[in-house]
Amino acid sequence: MTHPLLKVSNLAKSFGTMTALRDISFEVAAGEVVCIIGPSGCGKSTLLRCINYLTFPDGGFVEVDGTHIGREPGRDGKVRMQSHKRIDQLRPMMGFVFQQFNLWPHMTVLENIARGPIKVQRRPREEVERQARALLARFGLAGKEDAYPSALSGGQKQRVAIARALAMEPRLMLFDEPTSALDPEIVKEVLLFLRELADSGMTMVIVTHEIGFARHVADRVIFLDGGLVAEQGPARQVLGDPQNPRLREFLAQIHEVAAPADLSTPSH
Amino acid sequence: MTLDFSVILDNWPLFAAGLWMTLVVALLSIAAGFLLAIPVAIMALSHRRWLRAIAGAYVEWFRNIPFIVVLYIFFYGLPFMGLRLPEPVVGGIALAFYASTYFSEVIRGAVLAVPKGQLEAARAVGMSYFMGMREVVAPQTLRLLLPPSTNTAISMIKETSVLSTITVAEITYQGLVVQGATFAPFEVFLTTAALYWLITSAFAHGMHRVERAAGAAQGSQQARHSLADKYLQLGMRRSK
Amino acid sequence: MDFDLLAFGDAFPRLLPAALTNLTIALGAMLLALIGGTVLTVLRTTGIGLLTGAIGVLISFIRGTPILVQIFLFYYGLPALGLDLTPIQAGVLAIALNSSIFITEIMRGGLAGMDPGPVEAAIALGVRARTIWTRVILPQLYIRILPPLVNELTTIVKGTALLSVITVVEVLRTAQQIANTTFRPLEALLAAAIVLFALNLAISQLGRRIETRFAARRG
Repeated sequence: MTHPLLKVSNLAKSFGTMTALRDISFEVAAGEVVCIIGPSGCGKSTLLRCINYLTFPDGGFVEVDGTHIGREPGRDGKVRMQSHKRIDQLRPMMGFVFQQFNLWPHMTVLENIARGPIKVQRRPREEVERQARALLARFGLAGKEDAYPSALSGGQKQRVAIARALAMEPRLMLFDEPTSALDPEIVKEVLLFLRELADSGMTMVIVTHEIGFARHVADRVIFLDGGLVAEQGPARQVLGDPQNPRLREFLAQIHEVAAPADLSTPSH
Repeated sequence: MTLDFSVILDNWPLFAAGLWMTLVVALLSIAAGFLLAIPVAIMALSHRRWLRAIAGAYVEWFRNIPFIVVLYIFFYGLPFMGLRLPEPVVGGIALAFYASTYFSEVIRGAVLAVPKGQLEAARAVGMSYFMGMREVVAPQTLRLLLPPSTNTAISMIKETSVLSTITVAEITYQGLVVQGATFAPFEVFLTTAALYWLITSAFAHGMHRVERAAGAAQGSQQARHSLADKYLQLGMRRSK
Repeated sequence: MDFDLLAFGDAFPRLLPAALTNLTIALGAMLLALIGGTVLTVLRTTGIGLLTGAIGVLISFIRGTPILVQIFLFYYGLPALGLDLTPIQAGVLAIALNSSIFITEIMRGGLAGMDPGPVEAAIALGVRARTIWTRVILPQLYIRILPPLVNELTTIVKGTALLSVITVVEVLRTAQQIANTTFRPLEALLAAAIVLFALNLAISQLGRRIETRFAARRG
């Protein structure tokens, strides 16, 4: 029997009286790239943070490759919450790349990448550092091992953040607004980079507000509205022939704003 | 009138002994107070409301009453609980508890000044809360801790003078002894004040140097790397 | 030995009136310190090298030495210079001098964060320095630094307990007197701690209320 690599069922989350996620269910197959789009405040980032339990959801289930993280149904049918220790162990199955990257400023680039595997997985430093150097070389950052994050450009910081997540050898990657903290000129570069990562077979879930980005990178697009999945399907279909009126409205607004910006994009 | 500082010269061994006592008590109680402040700060930063409430009540209580009252409560309270200790020890314990409330606020402030995303990034790679605090947050608080800790430590050095009221033979106590014997209060208490001024100034000066060294180390680190990039970006690998 | 709840409760009727002494001394010292702090602040802006240098040394001395020793300097030292003071007078003056130094430092911080626009406008209009201070700067400055001033008042209240050492009969000395007759020092002292705690809590709560009122007025 085949199961999806990531299965999210009936996820719900409220902050006080504000409901961020009402009832979210979707699946992601191995190797797939899924973009989550939606108006700001629709709960995109909350959804991503609930998937890896950085924020604890109020209800629903998250399964990675058949393993529940956080809330799980017992044999007796009762739902129970795993221990914090267990959740901490399972969390790195999903690599998380933050909007602001959140690199650790007091550690070198190499140490940013190596600290997790050494401390959490207790792997030997030598092996971890070899892996980290290989990742940096692959990402065009050879020679930056001993630099501090403050000396890197935005795009370089993002690649270090991705390398830090990959060093834990996750089953899939979660990206929170990967282009929003970067200068517009390098958005294209990031897009190509993520495309490359996808082509290497990595499963990715990307929260974004850039429709052009979703169009180019995603296999599938999920449109979130009012804490619910309002529409989902192949990227071309969802973005080219939207059915949901709210999605149509959303795309129309985005196009108005995005068009002039596209023209100003340098051609090199 | 004329000031006659010969009474100071005649009694310098008493002042020297007092200076030594002040230094020892201040140093030990400040160190103990800082250590005691760490669990208080951890409680104050906890997600559990009742832990925060306990830490908050502890801090509010000590911060709103004079140290002299705290000292007397320890002085009479410890024997009440069956603990008979020498006065300098009682005074040191009282000061350590008093200082811990101020230091815990300093620590809490420094931890809160580290962006939330730093700990989240640690959690994302699978670190537990405490491992993330140790590996990622704590090292970043050190530079933030120094200036307010220096101020708090100086306040506590000054508070040691109150220990004279329970006959701990520190500087102020010796001042009172010499004043009683010589009736030269102005000279005596100016000298007493000068000794504290010396200690607090020297301490502040030393800590500023530490601060500068900590700041400069980080600054030069960054500068070195940006300068170094020019040379190291040409395909040469720096061996480690 | 058990904690004597009766002795503890009986202490309050004598301690509460004594707290009025602490409050009166604190308010008197605060008023003097506000005047002293303001004068020092204005003098520091004169740019007269000798004067600012002397004020700098005074600030360093007061901040670098314990308030208890400053109290002793006033209480034992000034009579030796021919100035006879009651314990309360000596205590109020010592606390006021100490506090005016901390207030001038608070004012320095407040001045640094003020909008230079109105002051520049006043200078451009040729307004006299005195008027600039009294009409433009100080009214804004006092409102701005209200929170640290309230905090300073609670520090002063804590300082008043030290006057028990120079025989001022305030809360702490009253507690000691009670203990002398009941032989229950711990009970009396805990009651004194609660009274002083309540006094400071009331001051900071009142300060917070005034603060929000001013914040609302400022928009």
